Order: sequence, then structure tokens, then C-alpha cells
Amino acid sequence: MSTPANTDRPRAAALYESAKKIYPREIKGRFESLSKLATNILLGLFYFVPWLMWDERQAFLFDLPARKFYLLGLTLWPQDFPYLALLLIIAALLLFFVTALAGRLWCGFACPQTAWTEAFIWMEQLTEGTRSQRMKLDKAPWGWNKLWRKGSKQLLWISFSLWTGFSFVGYFMPIRQLGLDILAFSVAGWTLFWGLFYGFATYGNAGYMREQVCKYMCPYARFQSAMFDKDTLIISYDEARGEPRGGRKRAVDRKQDGLGDCIDCKLCVQVCPTGIDIRDGLQYDCIACAACIDACDSIMDKMDYPRGLVRYTTENALNGEPSRVLRPRMFVYGAVIAFLTIALFTSMLTRTPIILDVIRDRNTLYRELPGDVIENSYTVKVINQNNESRDFRLSVDGVSGLTLDGVAEQFTVDGGDVLSLPVRARTERDSAYGIMHITFTVSAVDDETVSITEDSRFLGPTP
Amino acid sequence: MVSEEYRGRRKWSRNKQAVATVVWISFLTAAVATMLFFAVFDPIELLASFDADLDVDRQGGYAVGFFFFWIIAAGCSATTAWLVRTAPKRDAQNR
Repeated sequence: MSTPANTDRPRAAALYESAKKIYPREIKGRFESLSKLATNILLGLFYFVPWLMWDERQAFLFDLPARKFYLLGLTLWPQDFPYLALLLIIAALLLFFVTALAGRLWCGFACPQTAWTEAFIWMEQLTEGTRSQRMKLDKAPWGWNKLWRKGSKQLLWISFSLWTGFSFVGYFMPIRQLGLDILAFSVAGWTLFWGLFYGFATYGNAGYMREQVCKYMCPYARFQSAMFDKDTLIISYDEARGEPRGGRKRAVDRKQDGLGDCIDCKLCVQVCPTGIDIRDGLQYDCIACAACIDACDSIMDKMDYPRGLVRYTTENALNGEPSRVLRPRMFVYGAVIAFLTIALFTSMLTRTPIILDVIRDRNTLYRELPGDVIENSYTVKVINQNNESRDFRLSVDGVSGLTLDGVAEQFTVDGGDVLSLPVRARTERDSAYGIMHITFTVSAVDDETVSITEDSRFLGPTP
Repeated sequence: MVSEEYRGRRKWSRNKQAVATVVWISFLTAAVATMLFFAVFDPIELLASFDADLDVDRQGGYAVGFFFFWIIAAGCSATTAWLVRTAPKRDAQNR
């Protein structure tokens, strides 16, 4: 920066790169209320759910240190992972279904990025004022007013982010205990790290990156168009009705002047959180928040023109072709989703609440005991997935005369607990040779139908 | 007035785009990989099988696993992005 020739360069670079910050203008309307409602419900759930209790323990707790997931009365183990996978598949299909039906509803109303951005913009409006006030403030030189407004915005943003990080970690460890730990300044290292990490990501994504995340980083934004067809509801400007656009006095008869319904007030551009002009047609920057519909409707009302110059419609409808929302595609998606959901719930409700793991000891093939007896050793793990303790019986089958040693006739496993049993299986030398398949069965004493079987092997001498 | 305001609305440079995309997508990949991996393997049992005298608890194990996957995925993404972007341009006439 010492030579005068260089002084211009950083400015030129800055002009090229940062260009204009987007200041979404505030708007009231049907879709705005809907989106506010969605944001409040979703964020409200996020911050509230960790505090819910279910019988003495947190209702929703993904206890990673103990490798157990608690969902209301249900306890899931790592072995139940297929349920989670199925749930994610259902969620993905649901997203396809909604996208084919009405475009990017997810982006505008349900995406965490949108919800948190809206919360952050709300705090920005609270401290820095309306759109024009914010623009003026950014241009103004630093002074007490600017310092005060920007400072209080940062204070709100940072406290909100920290609370977000705290709530996030609260899904993975008991949140009440976590709160006490924080108050006592005795939070474990990793816990603190993840809380700050999530809080900082929220601060950066919702405070600064905002629509850039959707434009440059979101994979869904890029491939969602593959799920569109000509009957998908999209937010569109009715070009046939609006053009030629132009300003006019309210009393002027637009037909006489040869004007369309668009008065070119550019309100739709000002309210857009991604800074696009919906009148240029469908763009992948559009997150379908429908702010432009509210904006345009408010102007149409003022002009006494019919609403809906910008509206939810389909490509077919805009082209004057027949358009129907209920088409085969919707029924196929719907049927697959319904089938998988029913499958998930039936398998979860009818699952046997025991998990049996049999691990053969790797160190020895077999042992010969006095009296011509062959012995194999196993570690048997019995997991009781119920919340109450239960009595079980273990048996083995597959080789004649096979008996178990090291395990009592009946044993008790506490609710949600793992019992690890070192077990030895024995049989006569005459009936044991080579590799033989055997099965371990564990069954509940109070209900013989509650039982589960696991395969293993029994090794004997090769003749 | 407005159109002037948004003319040249802020766009990320190509490098910034590439870095953000690589970091973010590898983050998502690492999150999925961590979930799948640790659903099957318990970090404590995994470390025990190495006979190493490491004092790592489950949470530490999860974190190490997550960052391991993130670095691997980011390396893969970055190399792919770099190769695609530095590939020789196709000759317009031979298209």
C-alpha cells in the first residue's frame, strides 16, 4: 500500500467481489403470516423439545456417550439403525413429493437456513430499523447511534447463537444437567466445542451468508428442478397480463394507454431475500418464499386491479393449457410414502424387545476336556430393550448333546441394560467334528413368544 | 432506482464458491459417514482392539471420527474441483 499506484487496486477488487448487500424489505401479507407461523413453530420446537420430560428422563435424547436413543417411551440401540435409515428414506421421498406438488416449499417455509435467517433478520429490524433505515445506517459514518444499533444487533445475534448451540447439544446430553454445568463453569471440552461450533455456524449462516448458502452451497437448490414438471405449482409473474409494464397515475385507464397491469413499482424486487426479479421468469435463486406475491397483491389492491399478477400457478396454466395438480406422479409418490411409513411403524411396534449378540472367542478353536468332552467359548450379549427388568433363559441347539456352562437357568437383565455372559458350550467328542452351525436362543421367562435366535459356529477336531 | 441498487448484486468469486462448496459438501458427507460408521462400530471397542493405551472416551472417539471423515471428504472434493477447473479447455471447433 506504500506506492500510490497500488492504492486503487483493493478498492476495485472490493467493488467486483462484494458489490451489493441485499436488504430485504419488510412486507405484510398472507404468505408472510404463513412463513412467520412456520418459523415460529419450527424454531419453537427446536428450542423447546429438549426440555420435555418423559418419566424422570428427557423425552428426546440422543445419548451418544451411552449409545442409546430415547424417543418418548422408546429406546433405540445402534442395532436399530435400519429404522433411522428408513425414516430418512421416507423424509427424502416426502421432499420429492412436496417438490413435485408445489416446488420449493421446503426452501421457503421449512428449511432451517430460512427459519434462522428470518429470525436473524427480525433481530436486525428490531435494532437497525426498516430496509431504508438499514441502508442509510450502513452508509452513515461511525458514530454513537451506529455503534449502539450495530452493537445491540451483535449482542442479540450472539446471545441467540449461543442459546442455539446450547439447545443443540441439549439433544445429545441431558439439557438440565448441561445448564447446571455451564453455570458452574465445568463443561467438558468436547461438549463446549460442539455447542460453540453449532452456535458459530448459525451466526455465520443466518447472520451473514444467508441467501448465498442457497445459491452456492445447497445441493437441493441445484437438483430440485429435476423434480419439476409442467404441472408443478411455481411462483410466477403473469407476463401476458403484466406487460407492457410502466408507471401510471391511478386514474388512468391502462387499456387506453396500452399498458399491462404491472406498474413497475419494483416492490417485488425489494422484498426478495435473494435479490432477484421474479418478472424475469423462474430462476434457481428463487427460494419460493412468496414475499413477492404478498408485495404485488398489496399494490394490486391499491390500484384496484385484481390480485394474482404474481401468484402460485403452473407452467401449463400460464400457457393456457389444461393443468391438474393430482396427476399419476403424485399418486405413485404418495403410495410409496404411505407403504414405507406403515412398514416402519408396524416393524417398530412389533419388534422383539431383545437383542442377542454371540461372539465366538477367537483365541482358541476348541478345548478338549477330560472325559472326551469338546468345549467352545463364547461371549453372549443380551440387551433388554424394555424399560423394565426381565428374566430370560438361554439355550443352544444344533449339535446333539450340546449343553451350556457358565450361565444360570434363569438370569435377569435390567431395563435398557446389556448383560455380557461368558458362556461355554460342551458336547461329547463323538458328536463334534469340523465346523458345525449352532443357534443360540434367548427367550423371556414370562412370555415364551418373546424370543430371538442368533447363529454361531461350534468347532470340533477334524478326523 | 432499485434496478440500479441490485445491478451487480453481490456475487461470490469463483474461488470463494469453490472453497465454500468443498467445505460444506464434505461436511455433510462426513456427518452421514460418521453416523453410518458409528452405528456399527463403538469407538471404545474399536480402540480396545488396537491394544493402544489411549485415554479416549466415546465423545472424543466420535469427534476424531467426524474430523477424520471431514478431512478425507474435503481432500477428495478439493482435488476433484481443482482437476475439473484446471482441465484443458476443449477446442471450440472440435466440440
